Amino acid sequence: MATTSQVRVSQRSERKLITLDRSLDVLAIVVLSIGAVLMAMPFAWMFSTSLRPFGESYKLPPAWLPTEWHWENYAAVFQSNVPFLTFAYNSVKVTLITTIGQLLTCSMAGFAFARLRFPGREVLFVLLLAAMMVPGQVTIIPVFIIMRTLGLLDSHWALILPGLTSVFGVFLLRQFFLTMPQDLIDAAKMDGASVWATFFKIALPLASPVLSALAILTFNGTWNNYFGPYIFLNSWEKMTLPLGVTALRGFMASGSPSIVMACVTMTILPVLLVFLFAQRWFIEGVTQTGLKG
Amino acid sequence: MAKVQAPSLTRRWLANDRQREAVAGYLFILPTLIGYLVFVIGPIIAAVGISFTQYDMLSPAKFVGFDNYINLFKDPRVWTVYGNTVFFTVLAVSLNVGIGLILAVMINRKMPDFLKYIFRTTYFFPVLVALVYSSIIWQFLYQKDTGVFNYYLSLLNIEAIPWLSGRQWVLPSIIIMDVWKNTGFAMLVFLAGLQNIPQVYYEAAQIDGANRWHLFRYVTLPLITPTLFFNMIIFMIGALQVFDSIMVLTGGGPGDASRSIVMYITEKAFQSFEMGYASAVAITLFIVIMLMTLLQFRVGQSWVHYE
Repeated sequence: MATTSQVRVSQRSERKLITLDRSLDVLAIVVLSIGAVLMAMPFAWMFSTSLRPFGESYKLPPAWLPTEWHWENYAAVFQSNVPFLTFAYNSVKVTLITTIGQLLTCSMAGFAFARLRFPGREVLFVLLLAAMMVPGQVTIIPVFIIMRTLGLLDSHWALILPGLTSVFGVFLLRQFFLTMPQDLIDAAKMDGASVWATFFKIALPLASPVLSALAILTFNGTWNNYFGPYIFLNSWEKMTLPLGVTALRGFMASGSPSIVMACVTMTILPVLLVFLFAQRWFIEGVTQTGLKG
Repeated sequence: MAKVQAPSLTRRWLANDRQREAVAGYLFILPTLIGYLVFVIGPIIAAVGISFTQYDMLSPAKFVGFDNYINLFKDPRVWTVYGNTVFFTVLAVSLNVGIGLILAVMINRKMPDFLKYIFRTTYFFPVLVALVYSSIIWQFLYQKDTGVFNYYLSLLNIEAIPWLSGRQWVLPSIIIMDVWKNTGFAMLVFLAGLQNIPQVYYEAAQIDGANRWHLFRYVTLPLITPTLFFNMIIFMIGALQVFDSIMVLTGGGPGDASRSIVMYITEKAFQSFEMGYASAVAITLFIVIMLMTLLQFRVGQSWVHYE
């Protein structure tokens, strides 16, 4: 009876819905584009300011894109009495040792909690997870006293030692090793491989995506760490980049924010490069943490 | 192989496979276990102990019972810094998570792949930059006389805003920067959550005559509640410990107007060397974080939808 008109009506409303859908798609792109420009503006200002000649750093209206290319601001960072290269070396050293250490300890513990049977395994694991809830700032005073007793204040070990393992990393790897097929382990056992060999030759290579994600998260966290160095370090030659650059920003500026921005640009650049090349692992790292929650 | 060799004493001792596996297990977790005993478990117990003493690291600790805790409640600065921290946490968590969700829903719409890539990259990148560097940049942008923000406001005939020097402005300014810096993390987690929703749910709902709003309200929203919950917990725990950005942007000023609880703890511990008092404040922060997390989990049971 009314079917044809009903069909026509529903077709019309369908078409209307599709047009609405299309326009919402376009609207989303427009809004996201405006937002993306706003997001990028602080970095654009940073870069264009880093290339301004002395005395024009505060130029208003701000030029978002560099108009002149005064690279001498970058040279000035190295020529000033700010030990920028020393900071960079310290940061690389602390970050590398921490990251490698964490990969090793976390994958070992993760493997044991997932694949090796020993009495007390579950209890120990739950206790570790509970430790994940404790913020570092709560334990900082006793840790400071420990470092002082060990004579490690103002040394890189004060930063490295507490970072050599992480509950988060153990958790991440345990979850991964739980999904590893048991057959692979059994086969290795049949061939007479030791636990150590099974771990190194079979489990670790399989875990490389998770290890990359953990490596990048740890690298980034350590590279950007400010709180630890702020508490433990006080001599210039020991400082890492975030602490050094912050401590010296007034000193470096000496009237020219351009030099400070040149310095900040150089410290952000490695992060940008690593991100562009390894974006997949970054995103995997974050989403893995997200989905496990 | 092992069978061919003459079994050594230790070998025989460990002959049992299970025993060998257990020993290997303990050895594998040993580094992590030591790390946690020395740098987490031990310090927690020690922090509780120190909080009942008066200790300046030069003379031996003196037991004072609950004095630190009693003084803490009478210390007006504790109330100020807690107030600041809670204000920061409530706004930073809702804005970061809310805007992150909106961004993710928009990016998840139909659009060319390269646009998706560009948006994802642009919104996520600030997450990777150290807070202290973002703060250095924003400090210049926020300057009252020479800053970029006030310049644009002046074009609109709006009076210069004391972003970092006005008592009412300073915390909102720090929150704005925090959202710029961190909302990309929430976005990325939401994107993963959205992409995990099976397409069949939408198709089934559409067959039942659901419109777009219904789809969002009755399919998308319930199915991303676990992701929403995760984001809220992560952002809340992080916000309650805010430190880096405020240190660089304002150093806690003007006065105590932007000082956070962690800044107060470090000031008491490492500048005035009141280790006992600082530990007591730190313990209260720990308790607050635990309670808030437990509360979230409890309340979460009523609205988080697990499949």
